[in-house]
Amino acid sequence: MTAPRRSLGWRDHAFGLALGVAYVAVLLRTVRGLGYARDEGFYVRAAESYARWFELLARDRHAAMQRSAVDAAWAVNHEHPALLKSLFALSWLAHKKLHLFVDEGTSFRFGGMIFGGLTLWLLYAWGTQARSRAAGLAAALAYATMPRVFYHAHLDCFDAPMAAMWALTAYAYWRSRSGGLGWALATGVVFGLALDTKHNAWFLPPALVLHALLARGGGLRRDLQVGRVRVPLSLVAMATVGPAVFFALWPWLWFDTGARLVGWAQFHLNHEYYNMVFLGVTYWKPPFPRAYAPFMTLATVPTVTLVLFAVGALGWAFARVRAWRAGPARGPRDLGHTELLWAIGLFVQYAPWLSSSTPIFGGTKHWMGAYPFLCLFAGLGFERALAAIESVVSARVPRPLVGGLVGASVLAAPLAETAHAHPWGLSSYTPLVGGAPGAASLGLNRQFWGFTTGAVAGWLNDHVPRSGGQVYVHDTAWDSWDVLRRDGRLAPWVQPAVSPAPSTFALYHHEPHMEGVEYQIWVAYGTASPAYVGSYDGVPIVYVYEKPPR
Amino acid sequence: MKLAHLALLVPLLGLAELAGHLYFSRRAPRPEEWGATRAAVEAARQPGDVVVVSPLWAEPLARWQLGPTLFSLREVARPDVTRYPRAIELSALGAEDPELAGWPVRRETKVGRIVVRSRDNPAPPHVTYDFVDRLRPASAAVTVAKGEARTPCAWVEGLPVETQGLFGAAAWPSARFRCDGEGPYVFAGVTIIDDERDRPRRCIWSHPPAGGGELVTRFASVPLGKVLRGHTGVGHLIERDRAGAPITLRVLVAGEEVGRAVHADGDGWKPFELALAGHAGTTADVEFRASAPDAHSRHLCFEADSR
Repeated sequence: MTAPRRSLGWRDHAFGLALGVAYVAVLLRTVRGLGYARDEGFYVRAAESYARWFELLARDRHAAMQRSAVDAAWAVNHEHPALLKSLFALSWLAHKKLHLFVDEGTSFRFGGMIFGGLTLWLLYAWGTQARSRAAGLAAALAYATMPRVFYHAHLDCFDAPMAAMWALTAYAYWRSRSGGLGWALATGVVFGLALDTKHNAWFLPPALVLHALLARGGGLRRDLQVGRVRVPLSLVAMATVGPAVFFALWPWLWFDTGARLVGWAQFHLNHEYYNMVFLGVTYWKPPFPRAYAPFMTLATVPTVTLVLFAVGALGWAFARVRAWRAGPARGPRDLGHTELLWAIGLFVQYAPWLSSSTPIFGGTKHWMGAYPFLCLFAGLGFERALAAIESVVSARVPRPLVGGLVGASVLAAPLAETAHAHPWGLSSYTPLVGGAPGAASLGLNRQFWGFTTGAVAGWLNDHVPRSGGQVYVHDTAWDSWDVLRRDGRLAPWVQPAVSPAPSTFALYHHEPHMEGVEYQIWVAYGTASPAYVGSYDGVPIVYVYEKPPR
Repeated sequence: MKLAHLALLVPLLGLAELAGHLYFSRRAPRPEEWGATRAAVEAARQPGDVVVVSPLWAEPLARWQLGPTLFSLREVARPDVTRYPRAIELSALGAEDPELAGWPVRRETKVGRIVVRSRDNPAPPHVTYDFVDRLRPASAAVTVAKGEARTPCAWVEGLPVETQGLFGAAAWPSARFRCDGEGPYVFAGVTIIDDERDRPRRCIWSHPPAGGGELVTRFASVPLGKVLRGHTGVGHLIERDRAGAPITLRVLVAGEEVGRAVHADGDGWKPFELALAGHAGTTADVEFRASAPDAHSRHLCFEADSR
């Protein structure tokens, strides 16, 4: 049965912080290999707009608070809330003054990277507090060595930060269950920040209410009978403090609030469908395959991590069943109902894909918020597996050596896969489906967002003539291309073109539904032979065509 | 065995996954390995052969490394393989092209991790005429027919190629029969569309004119075989919503209609075969007449040969 909460010492926090800092350092070290995804370009443009407003706020607070100033700055990309883009903006402003980063693009991305580090710290702390240091460390490292997570953690986007904020809100709520006003209020504040990160936060209230109800168990019926249902303070804070924080940090909502809130919700509830290939079929409208989320999880999360998750989750589930059969619990109680919360956190993130009308175009990133909980269970699984192994290994073998060897054996593959996947990120698949070549044969997506332009930037710089050449950018957003240019990763003579016909070089980021674009290039250039192909493990990902002289 | 012993499988599985990662990440041939097959392919290849790659997803690497001589636009965007007497198949990872499944292997050599196979078409056709290859003023003329009116379309070379990007129509080629007085999309010219499997198909863009007219593409003095065989298509992204009107392609030989192909959205790259009966073995004029009750976005593209 679950154990009660352990206290965390400053050494634990220092260790967790060091894990997070090290992760961010790795992200900073590797970021220049990664091209800019479509959405990153849009958020850079939004962040620049918000930065101008922050500068105005610092200069003339009264003027900044006028509707005209707020609307002018915050109308850009108002379909997503403001927290992350504000952080991108502030990080960029700091860079402009202090030259903190290698380039401008990294200064925008840094605002997102810190959430990757934060997640590791949180997972270590939560796993340690709920179970043991081994469980916490295993959870943090399992998360750090998910190839897709590592890719997304680099970006000035919302998905890795949202995973962090979702888990952080759940953690604050979990802490609040031990009593006290502080963590209850913190839950409200963090929930407000989560709301201001991405709309995935909408699923937090139902998840935590469900947990509170299930955790109350039989007591809930008694509460109802006497007509006194006690609502946890943290949930009250989420209903009151959360929206206040959300409203305060998103200036776009300060005027015409109702209509703008409705517009925000409508955008996401009626989001257009994009294309996504799955097992050789491109889906662009419902019904979408329900197998997509579980299959892609199996195909992209390191298998040993999933096995550890299964050991942890099933071990907990069986223990719950045994405890239920044994009757009322004796001994220490887990006030937080920790694993139940992790299970709900995991399930709620996947639940939208139980419906065949939920789009799948986001690939794995749309349920990335489930992965911190998956890793917490994996940490639990590691702890259980280690304990079992120690019980059958001779007592003469030092326990730290056993722990180190078992840890290294379960970390080696995820680490190797993650390091190898960079900078191809979304092209990586686990050995379970035969890696990238196996995935190509199965008809799985190799990329989206056009970010692999970064992988051919060097070739373009070398081959586009200095006298000037126009490169058709294909799926790379104009703003993303512009950041590559500002970073100096694309030479000034490499000019973008919006259409293949007038260009002299053309990019093609392979996705099956975009093949027609490649054929347009063939007709315009009179050749089907690329001048260069960026490939990953022998799988072609991004092609460069050069118009032959006529 | 105690249950605890099962836990030893966890680190073993981790090491097995690492081995699997190292194996699969090195399993597929690298670009230069495709390039290394050049000598073997050139030695095996005879005029009229087609070079195919299995698995198909690796083809861009072969196209890059082996260049346009072995992978010309015409062959890469072929209508199918049936017209070729032989195929040179470059195979990796044990893959085989399903279109060549019934073609006996004449010779097989291995170059590194790639197998170069020569395969014979068990029933090679004698293609007497390829209409796509002959869409030139010397052999073809294009008119817009509306009732009794006939408006000729002029052959123009050196026009800017029109490309509309994703969700746009196929590229409008630089050289085409331009039909002034109609929308700019009403022309006859050779382009490449994406079929329902996203494969490239080289074909004659033949967008019917609005108002119930026909776009008539006439080929003069065609040496005919026993059948006219071809395909119709629209482009997958254009037709996948199945919102457009059906398009009819009437085929006339020496003024006599020998058949028609009707293309409805969702048909994909749709084959047709028309028996030539009394016209078989003769030389005659052949007309392809494209029409649609509602011509909006009806980017019909067809290919045909006689064999």
